[in-house]
Amino acid sequence: MNTKLKVSEISKIYPGCIANDKVSLEFGSGKIYALLGENGAGKSTLVKILSGVVKPDEGQVFLNDESIKLNSPLDAKKNNIGMVFQHFNLFETLSVFENLSIDSDKKDEELKTLVNDILKKYNFKIDLDIPVLNLSAGQKQKVEIIRCLIRNPKVLIMDEPTSVLTEQETDDLFISLKQFSKDGILIIYITHKLKEVLSLCDEVAVMRKGKVVSVSNTIDEKIESLANKMVGENLNTIKKKINNFKNSEEILKISNLNFKSDDPYETNLNNLNLSLKKGECLGIAGISGNGQNELFQILSGEIITEGTSIMFRNKEIGKLNPRERREYLMAFSPEDRISQAAVPELKIYENVALNNFKSSNFFEKGLVNEKKIKEHSKKILSNFSVNTDNVELKSQFLSGGNLQKLIIGRELITSPELLVCFNPTWGLDVGAINYIHETLVQINEQGKSSILISTDNDELLKLSDRICVIYKGKLSKIMNADTVSAEKLGILMGGGSID
Amino acid sequence: MSRSIYFLTPVLAIFLTLFGGGIIFFILGFNPIEALKFFFITPISDLYGFSELLVKATPLCLIAIGLSFCFKSNNWNIGAEGQLIFGGIVGGGVALLFYNHDGFYVLPIIILSGAIGGMLFAMIPAILKTYFNTNEILVSLMLVYVAKLLLDYLVVGPWSNPEGFNFPETRQFSESARMPILFDGLRIHAGIFITLITVFLSWLILYKTYLGFQIKVSGLSLKTAKYAGFKGKTMIIIVFMISGACAGLAGVGEITGPIGQLHRNISPDYGFTAIIVAFLGRLNPIGIIFASLIVALTYLGAETAQIFLQVPKYTGQVFQGMILFFLLGSDYLLFFKIKFLGLKKNEL
Repeated sequence: MNTKLKVSEISKIYPGCIANDKVSLEFGSGKIYALLGENGAGKSTLVKILSGVVKPDEGQVFLNDESIKLNSPLDAKKNNIGMVFQHFNLFETLSVFENLSIDSDKKDEELKTLVNDILKKYNFKIDLDIPVLNLSAGQKQKVEIIRCLIRNPKVLIMDEPTSVLTEQETDDLFISLKQFSKDGILIIYITHKLKEVLSLCDEVAVMRKGKVVSVSNTIDEKIESLANKMVGENLNTIKKKINNFKNSEEILKISNLNFKSDDPYETNLNNLNLSLKKGECLGIAGISGNGQNELFQILSGEIITEGTSIMFRNKEIGKLNPRERREYLMAFSPEDRISQAAVPELKIYENVALNNFKSSNFFEKGLVNEKKIKEHSKKILSNFSVNTDNVELKSQFLSGGNLQKLIIGRELITSPELLVCFNPTWGLDVGAINYIHETLVQINEQGKSSILISTDNDELLKLSDRICVIYKGKLSKIMNADTVSAEKLGILMGGGSID
Repeated sequence: MSRSIYFLTPVLAIFLTLFGGGIIFFILGFNPIEALKFFFITPISDLYGFSELLVKATPLCLIAIGLSFCFKSNNWNIGAEGQLIFGGIVGGGVALLFYNHDGFYVLPIIILSGAIGGMLFAMIPAILKTYFNTNEILVSLMLVYVAKLLLDYLVVGPWSNPEGFNFPETRQFSESARMPILFDGLRIHAGIFITLITVFLSWLILYKTYLGFQIKVSGLSLKTAKYAGFKGKTMIIIVFMISGACAGLAGVGEITGPIGQLHRNISPDYGFTAIIVAFLGRLNPIGIIFASLIVALTYLGAETAQIFLQVPKYTGQVFQGMILFFLLGSDYLLFFKIKFLGLKKNEL
């Protein structure tokens, strides 16, 4: 059966921001559509409108030429629109089957045959009786997809589905999606990963600042052309000049550092040794969960070690907490920007005040110097092109890219000698990634050092002077970046050895 | 959600409580309007009544202000009653020690020792939490009974009045150990100034200092507090110390103010009721002042109702319970939306 989905002149206005500006799009079954855009371009809002979570201010949605009202997620379900969100909505302690039966009105036996048919048809291998918490991210996503398939969806919307998947799982997902499409399900795929658009989708709609700026066949597009449409400007490809740091002064030295955790979910670190010179960027690669978190916390002072194990500008800092380390001109940008680097409920200037130390004078004699903090915040907002000049704005209203600019700005405005950042561009769009990368290159050019812990190899190879890999809490040999290839990194990340 | 609604729901909760109370009185066979008038208007219709209101509100407000430090930073100190009693014990002990002394210095020493007593008692759950990872709710709550039984033992045994015919109470404190009375014939005492100064200082600390900023951040995200380098353990201990000191002050204010000695029941559960006050006042110093007056009224109303309507004075606690119930209920409806889906499951 053919399905046609059409959105017509949809507008949604939030206070201070037009999320969707007269968006009109047409989709037909048998194809996979990509909805591409930067963070804050309005694609999430459009998807929320299609799934009934958000009501549009204006405009209509047509399914097979019939106008439909989507006032709640229930309405979306009734109209056979299925949605798999980026964050899973599963009960971890219930079994797979229990999760499926919760929002189904079918009898258990009937449902079981149906689910088994789906499993067989699409070659999914999932044990229905084990609790969801034992599943991998990819398997959990399959459970979500099955939950949609049970309802015979005409439309399946996938929101950033690969952000938690491994490469193998991503490949599997793409095979399944193509199969669904063949079976007549209309698929709308939301992403900001350009490679995925080209390898999976048939048509691509690009959104920018709430408007649809282009609709085209993916055959006619290239990565650069899509990226340009997304950010609306030509991207500068950054080329890092590889420097020779032989004669530079050593700024950081970690020797024989060990960390043993009481928490079984944390990784122990064994005998870490590294050194960093002035103006140098050291990249630390690795598959997430191999000790990056712990390493970041040891560098930032959230985990305290022996004083002598970390020397920064010839001072023992192992025992100092983050605030005291900032005093010595270190700065930190953690991976989790929403719940660690900043507090969404706090205003921008209050979040700026989180990076304070004695010489910042934000708090004089224990009292808040609000004027000083606000002045400082204004400077950050303009110097780091954050998309607002209102320091009283709660930071939950900033998009991911703007929040990260604020955080990086907050860390850098004090001109630190060393910036430690952990996945600084995770989940950001191309424009923001580019901005952050430029900033990181800039600080090296100014003679400041950086440690980049990242799970993105392209980023690491682009920005680092030297690279090493962390695997099961151990660091590999530190190599010059120009001698390292992505293949080499891959071998080390998987626990292999080279030469 | 707008800020004004956030502060208006407590008012709504109070009206709902009046309504609920009216229904209860109606079921008991009273004219609800008349009964509510006895409960809420009669007690404060003269100067004496108004002074009594302030007498009750003084400790409630003081304890609630202290608790707001804990609650704002996600530390659940439920044992203010115990800290109040322990502050009373220490302050009372010092008062008995100075039984034969006269002088302006006696009262400040007693007050100070009461505050320190409450503070030290509150540090027990704080230290156990920070160094042994115990649950502060349980520890602080259980310590209430420790303090109560200790007081019981002292007033029956070693500290009981030698000329008291074995009544479970201590001697009356000397004049120098008593809070000055503000007006002749009324019981309102200088403790109200301690409360007002504390409210002002709390506002200053919570909104204008680094400590207040740390409390706010820690309450919102412990991960961020750690990343910013706040000394988490120190902060937990400080907020418990502040709230314990406030409860201790309230205790010592009671025994040197209206009571004038130690006996078994130095507090009609002010320490527990103050939890309601703190939340009704939205953990905001100004809000807490108003909330303490309203909750204090339920204490007075219960007494009048007992006299005029012959209902037990525990009606006061019923009203306090209703306030909390309606407040939590309104909050729930404020943060979530109820939708009636009906029973047509096949449409789901």
